[in-house]
Amino acid sequence: MSDTKTLTFAFMEPPFESERTVTFFRLLDAALDRGAGVRVFAYEGAVALAFARQQPHGNAVHHRDSEEEDHPLTKDWIAALQEKARSKGIGFEWINCGLCVDERGVNDVIEGCGRGGPPDLWRYASEAHNTLTIGTR
Amino acid sequence: MSHYLFIQSQDPFTETRTHHQFDLIGQLYDAGHKVAVLLVQNGVTPARRGAKSDLFDDLLRWGVTVRADQFALAQREIDHADLKDQVGVADMDLVIDAMLAGHKVIWH
Amino acid sequence: MKVLQVIDQAYRTTTEEQDDTILWLTQSMRGAGGDLMVLLSGHGVHYAISRERQPALTLGTWRQTQPAELPRDIANLVESGVPVYAIQGDLEERGLGGLALQNGVRPVARRAVADLYEQADQVWHW
Repeated sequence: MSDTKTLTFAFMEPPFESERTVTFFRLLDAALDRGAGVRVFAYEGAVALAFARQQPHGNAVHHRDSEEEDHPLTKDWIAALQEKARSKGIGFEWINCGLCVDERGVNDVIEGCGRGGPPDLWRYASEAHNTLTIGTR
Repeated sequence: MSHYLFIQSQDPFTETRTHHQFDLIGQLYDAGHKVAVLLVQNGVTPARRGAKSDLFDDLLRWGVTVRADQFALAQREIDHADLKDQVGVADMDLVIDAMLAGHKVIWH
Repeated sequence: MKVLQVIDQAYRTTTEEQDDTILWLTQSMRGAGGDLMVLLSGHGVHYAISRERQPALTLGTWRQTQPAELPRDIANLVESGVPVYAIQGDLEERGLGGLALQNGVRPVARRAVADLYEQADQVWHW
């Protein structure tokens, strides 16, 4: 990320609960579109966004099986952003709050998502061009 | 003078905190800072023409720059023509540009 | 870089986390060298007048032994050099205006909040 500006985002929402989640992911995508490196600190419920055991499902009400339903999963959104960043040659880092992971039992995360703590958020913020925090309610 | 961008996800119909949030935005604007607001999620709802929120209309009357997220508008089937006159349409790149410019970007 | 932490909520998960997660985050970042200020606003102002440990929860045969100690967490922040402010108007709205603030917590008028925002390089609203 030496030649690109880096932006840090701290996020607290768990998947499938809040409209904030979609806004947050759209922000990450827009940052990559602008050529900015992205660093994410996932705090509290947001650590489940990268949980590797998320599973798509069919939906009888929609009269669609799992393949037809093509259900969105946040782990896939993260992977898609990782791939986009790679293709553009810019950084995309993701750290989950480790204690938050442990208490929720969501240790099995997708590749490219690490484990850390608040000092990592401070390091990310200190090194970044700017930081945005999105809490939960 | 500082630059502020508030990302307004809370709306005055359900969140009484918006009263103080809008007040703060107005104070910063009155103090001479460059202040803009991006409405997101249900935060776009007072921007619709005919929506009744004196709190929100005060923001427009004061002259604060207000934009509404096009995705949130589309979800609610609100066209550009449905918006109050002073409200523009924007996307997430507005936030990213402000962050890259070093503005204070704050989530409400 | 100086960051203003705006804590606008209270008691969201204080029972199961045994602290306020943003107070905890702030203490931890302070330990990592963070230059931080805290603004208690909204229901967050309750922390400014908190005197006692949180009540211990009992569910079935399970009993909590280490409920949150919010006065300790506020005191730790103040002692570590983090200025902690509480919005006077939010205290008064909630009938708390006549109560003494915890040692070191400074009341701030709503009209002065914009000045606090100006003192910080970044404002993190939680």
